[in-house]
This record gives sequence, structure tokens and C-alpha cells, in this order.
Amino acid sequence: MLEAALEHLVKGIVEHPDDVEVDSRTNRRGQTLEVRVHPDDLGKVIGRGGRTARALRTVITSIGGKGIRVDVVDTDEVH
Amino acid sequence: MTEAAPDRTDPLRPPGEPGLTPPNGEGAAIASLTDRPDAVLVKEGDIAGDYLERLLDIVDYDGDLDMDVQGDRAVVAIVGDRLTKLVGSNGATLDALQELTRLAVQQQTGVRSRLMLDIGGYRARRRADLTRLGTKVAREVLTAAEPASLAPMNPFERKVVHDAVAGIDGVRSESEGVEPDRYVVIVPT
Repeated sequence: MLEAALEHLVKGIVEHPDDVEVDSRTNRRGQTLEVRVHPDDLGKVIGRGGRTARALRTVITSIGGKGIRVDVVDTDEVH
Repeated sequence: MTEAAPDRTDPLRPPGEPGLTPPNGEGAAIASLTDRPDAVLVKEGDIAGDYLERLLDIVDYDGDLDMDVQGDRAVVAIVGDRLTKLVGSNGATLDALQELTRLAVQQQTGVRSRLMLDIGGYRARRRADLTRLGTKVAREVLTAAEPASLAPMNPFERKVVHDAVAGIDGVRSESEGVEPDRYVVIVPT
């Protein structure tokens, strides 16, 4: 449900909604939702000074609980 | 517009004839964006409503959407009980959702949106509280003839206080400091 909510929130604000992907990972530190978008949309999802990524985090932790992390994955940085 | 939409495939219709009724859907909305500012705001409300409605569906929260245009901005309200999670402490989640909703609107219209979102009547209550606060402090400033500073507030909240102070003779207000710690100062004139 949280993944679907995050996916929906991100898809609505990007140029390439079909390229939005949200994966959930759980380790002993808790749940992390990883967001991947089209490289051209990275700036949009992060926002000026990280403002948009922060807004996404605020909404998701509010719905799902404080322990949940939201990471916007910079696909350009993948080795 | 009393005529029915013309058949777009009508071979007798000269291309680019003025007064052509745009087809329904996206094209119609965008065509009206340029000439009717109100239509832009109604369209903003519709896009925002879709975005938020789907979110409510996914997280399974009950809420009714109320779309309106107030002055020069679209206003969307999610009405319902048990929406406190979407408001957050001091309205932080509400502000975040408003930000995302504005971006979703901008993504479709190509124009920056100043849409206002309210959830569970939070902003309406906050407006009433801040109007009361602004009025009370302005009276104190009048009596003491000394400036007074209020706690840091977001732009919406400061505007409410400025509006309240503007209605009182002998005082004026200004904002000082840097976001997110910008605050209102009320000074005697």
C-alpha cells in the first residue's frame, strides 16, 4: 500500500510516469522505499534544495510510520 | 457557445476556422487556459482532485473532495474525519501534500500553481486562530506603543496575520527573518 501510494505521488509529478519504479527493502533498520525515475525526472523528484524529496518523505512517513525511509536513487551513480 | 461541436472530419470546414469548438478532453481544457483565467483555476482543481482522490483510494482513507476557486487561486479541500495523519504535526504533512499537488498540477498545465489545499478543516481553523492572535497582539502593540514579534510561521500563516493587522488603525506588520524561521513583527505607526 505504501509503495503504491509513493508510486502514485511520484508518477503525478514527472514527465515519464511509465519509468517510475518503487521497490521496498527491509533490513534490520527497517523498511526503505527506493524510488527510481527517468534520469530527466531526477531533478523534479528531488526538487530545489531537496524540497520535493522531503515532501514525499513527510507524506509517506505520516501514512506509514516514522521508521520508513524514502530514497530517491540516482541511477546515474550506479556503477 | 450554443452550437454543438462540429464534426472534426467535416471536409467542408476550412482549416483553422475561428470559433472552432475544441474536441472534448485535454485539448478543450488547454484551449480554454489561454483566454479564461477562471477556467485555468477550475482545471487546476480538477487535476488536483484526481491526484488526491487516487491517493485516498490507495491508502484507504475516507474523504470527500471539495473544489472551489477563491480569488485568484484554486482551493481544494479534503473533508472528513480521521484525516489527522494527512495533516501532520503543525500541518507539516498538509503542506507537503499541497506542494506535491501543485507540482502535479504544474506537470499537466505547464504553469506554476498557487493552489491551496485544506484537509479536515485544518487551515480554516488555523486561519481563525491566527486572525484572533494577530488582532490581539496588534491591540497590545497599540496600547504599549512598542513592536511585538510573533513565532515563525509559513507564508500562508503570515498572510493571515498581515490581513488581520491591516484591519486595525495605528499598527502595521512586516515579515522578518529567513524561511523557515520567518516571522511577523507588528509595529505601531
